[in-house]
Amino acid sequence: MDPTLTRWIWPLVQTALLVLLGPLVTGLIQKMKARLQCRRGAGILQPYRDLLKLLRKGTVQSDTSGSFFRVVPVLVLGATCAAATLVPVFFAPGTAGYASLLPLGDALLLAGWFALARFLTAIAALDAGGAFGGMGASREMTVATLVEPALILVIFSVAIVAGTTDLRVIAGHPVGMRGSFGAADLLALFAMLILLLAETGRIPVDNPDTHLELTMLHEGMLLEHSGPGLGCLVLAHHIKQIVLIAFVQALFFPWKAATATSHALIMGLGAFLLGTLALSVFLAIVESSYAKLRFFNLPQFLSISLLSSFLAVALRLL
Amino acid sequence: MSIGGLWIMLGAYGAGAAVSILGSRWGNATRVLGHVALFLGALAGLALAIQRLTGGALQTAIHVELPHLFPFANLVLTLDGLSAFFLLIVSIVTIAAAIYGPAYLKAHSGSSPAVEVLGINIFVASMALVLCAGDAMTFLLAWEGMTLASYVLVVSEGKESNTRAGLIYMIMAHAGTALLMVVFLTLAVHAGSFDFAAIRTAAAALSGTERSVLFFLALVGLGAKAGVVPLHIWLPQAHPAAPSHASALMSGVMLKMAIYGILRLGLDLLAPATGPLPPSWGWIVLALGAISAIIGVLYALQQHDLKRLLAFHSVENVGIILMGVGMAMLLAHRGGVADALAALGLAAALLHTLNHAAFKGLLFLCAGVVQTATHILNMEELGGLARRMPWTAWLFLIGAVAISALPPLNGFVSEWMTFQTLILASAYLRSGSGLAVIAVAAALALTGGLAAACFVKAFGVTFLGRPRSTHAAEAVEGAPSMLAGMVLLATVCVVIGIMPGYAMVFLDSPVMRLLGGVGPSQLVTARGPLVLLASGSPGTGTAVSMTAAAVLLGVVALVAWIVVVWPRTLARRREPTWTCGMAPQSRFDYTATAFAKPLRFIFALLYQPKRTVRKKTGSTPYVLSQLHWQSDVVDLALVHFYNHIQAGVTRVANAIRQRSTGRIHDYIGFVLITLLITLLVFGRG
Repeated sequence: MDPTLTRWIWPLVQTALLVLLGPLVTGLIQKMKARLQCRRGAGILQPYRDLLKLLRKGTVQSDTSGSFFRVVPVLVLGATCAAATLVPVFFAPGTAGYASLLPLGDALLLAGWFALARFLTAIAALDAGGAFGGMGASREMTVATLVEPALILVIFSVAIVAGTTDLRVIAGHPVGMRGSFGAADLLALFAMLILLLAETGRIPVDNPDTHLELTMLHEGMLLEHSGPGLGCLVLAHHIKQIVLIAFVQALFFPWKAATATSHALIMGLGAFLLGTLALSVFLAIVESSYAKLRFFNLPQFLSISLLSSFLAVALRLL
Repeated sequence: MSIGGLWIMLGAYGAGAAVSILGSRWGNATRVLGHVALFLGALAGLALAIQRLTGGALQTAIHVELPHLFPFANLVLTLDGLSAFFLLIVSIVTIAAAIYGPAYLKAHSGSSPAVEVLGINIFVASMALVLCAGDAMTFLLAWEGMTLASYVLVVSEGKESNTRAGLIYMIMAHAGTALLMVVFLTLAVHAGSFDFAAIRTAAAALSGTERSVLFFLALVGLGAKAGVVPLHIWLPQAHPAAPSHASALMSGVMLKMAIYGILRLGLDLLAPATGPLPPSWGWIVLALGAISAIIGVLYALQQHDLKRLLAFHSVENVGIILMGVGMAMLLAHRGGVADALAALGLAAALLHTLNHAAFKGLLFLCAGVVQTATHILNMEELGGLARRMPWTAWLFLIGAVAISALPPLNGFVSEWMTFQTLILASAYLRSGSGLAVIAVAAALALTGGLAAACFVKAFGVTFLGRPRSTHAAEAVEGAPSMLAGMVLLATVCVVIGIMPGYAMVFLDSPVMRLLGGVGPSQLVTARGPLVLLASGSPGTGTAVSMTAAAVLLGVVALVAWIVVVWPRTLARRREPTWTCGMAPQSRFDYTATAFAKPLRFIFALLYQPKRTVRKKTGSTPYVLSQLHWQSDVVDLALVHFYNHIQAGVTRVANAIRQRSTGRIHDYIGFVLITLLITLLVFGRG
């Protein structure tokens, strides 16, 4: 195949895969949670049905809100999809990130896109002029400030050995670059799993199932949205979740296809699906076995992540 | 042409200042003419700077001898790559401020037009002269001119609080200038001349300790101007007090004069002739940067005055710039990978200097429009402005996204470069040093997150929701000329954000002037202007294309808009927000205090929040008839340092007053005793 074409096609295919599979992961986690709680639960395709229904509905908009409120869902979806292009799913030719004309894969840009999406969602939450939106925005931004340093440290703990923050390069050089999977990796993975809970808005940080004002963070911000706008935001949240799951795998379980042979690609895809399943099970089990933490206990919970990621970096450097 | 450009620039500023003799009688004419001159001067400065920066990095400096005024010093102007880059920053913000100024001042007729025009022209001219100074004497004179002119602007509105802010500013600025004078006079004694070239030669012969002592003295002196924590206390008081376009210049540009001074002294005049700088310089600058960044943004979060919040963000951004400068100092002239990383760090710092000037200028100008429209700067009394002032709101949002270091705008680019410098440097330094650098990176990440939270608050509470006061409810959009100035700065933010590669050309000349070696355009844009590359050694590193990223965001958002939202626009109903069955009022909106509450709680150790609640109950204790609630946070530097100093000074003054009996005999006695002691101590030689 023409190399220029390949450069464009592979990121697009992988992004499309993430966008399409995003709701499925949510459905899977919901189903597993239901089974763990001895309920039958909705089918795993339920998120797709919800999305389709939302997209067909009309909009009810708060009379205080203005143009920002309408534009934000679309921009949030745009930022999240842009983030989805950055993470390798099953194909990561090692040097592509450095040499390609279209460098997609920088982990800092990924964090930046998520931060932009969060920033815009929080702004839209304040536009409706209700206290719930403001409360959700305030809490979400507070949690984000605590997550951000730990996330950067996790990225750096891997980047120090890889010499780059490009996820395609990191995922493309599995063992050779990092030696073996050592204590530093374990600590960073542990930190990242805590961050995964926080960033995907799951118990014990946030509760995705409730609209009770005392417990919600992310849901509180979406309260005033409706119809297609809400659909965009919900889809963006599904995509964010699977992107983060893919991000964990790219950093710590980089079994990606290095060449575009069908055998390698199938192996890479299989590894990705297995990894996603494993992390979904992790999320479902954690969410079923813990209670939500009190909001002001979150700093302690998240500082565990900060500490272990810092230790991971220290182990790498010292 | 270049020398001519310099004279045109200074001449225009001078003419602008001279316009003030028209006086207040033709107030509007004075304002307009003064700002036209300011605009022309800045345009000449811009042309001069761009010509100097793009004309090849190794071009010799422009050198102009000034008239011989002092018997002991020649006044000289030189414009090298470093000066030209900062002149570019001064000129860009000044152009926007000059377009914005007349309409703003017309709406705020608090002060005399003559004073405003005189102040702002001299202020900008002194900044240009600080940059062009080719000797220590010119530098100090221009530095002092800058301080005095900005003081005039701070107190120009004549309010009581402004006078106090001005006093604190004067004390801090002059304490800083005093230290700079010590440094320059010491150097001049060594060199036998005030000329920078002579000083550079003489400094090469200094001993290590002497060099470091001079640098740290200068760092404190310049840090006071830059608002480095703990020397920042004047900044959040003085910057908001000036007229908004002057605030934009003070926050966006004047602080950068101190950065210029640190670079000029640390990496040029005082730098050893060969070999790396003393490591303590880089580490201390790095630590000051990290502390300033975090403390600045944390205090900004608890401010409810829009302009004061922005002023605290300047402390934060100076911190971020100093992180890059610190890395450059740490790694400069160590050879190989370190040299490339030093260039990257310096490029990040310089780019952030330019970026901060653009977005902070923009935000201050937006705040000025809000102030013009409502006469309120307290966010708790604003709200709902976006629907009445859509232009200002969108422009403020651009500034907010940029300052929060979010893609795809310019703040992200320079912070990305700073992050990459830190990560690559920590991998290069290894061990404890590497870990310290990583801790700085974590501090930078925390700063970014806090800044985003702060600007969600600033933008959301000011512009969204319902108006909380009649002034806010009746606000009108700013004059077109004011908006034009803001659009200019917003364009800079967007263009540098989306196409940062093209800005790297401007960084070549200053970086190569200070560090030698290759410039950032060969390092960062080695793969064409559309791709940014952060790399220590060839074949490694991280590449990112901001252009592609922005296009991606735009395309996806557009497709989503067309496919999903647009066809549905007809089926939209507008209903009041659900507020649990009550009629919605503006008091249900989340306030700035409430928004920042979780962070006030988490960082209570730093804020030491105080809260006083007074309840007045009715007939039973369960019915409240009146509730008074007051909450306050403290500035630790103020409480634990400056208040003690102030108390000490007052104590000494009181003690002196007690002993001032008013009788002439006592004073003659004091004089005699002093004379005796002086003779005993110094009279033996």
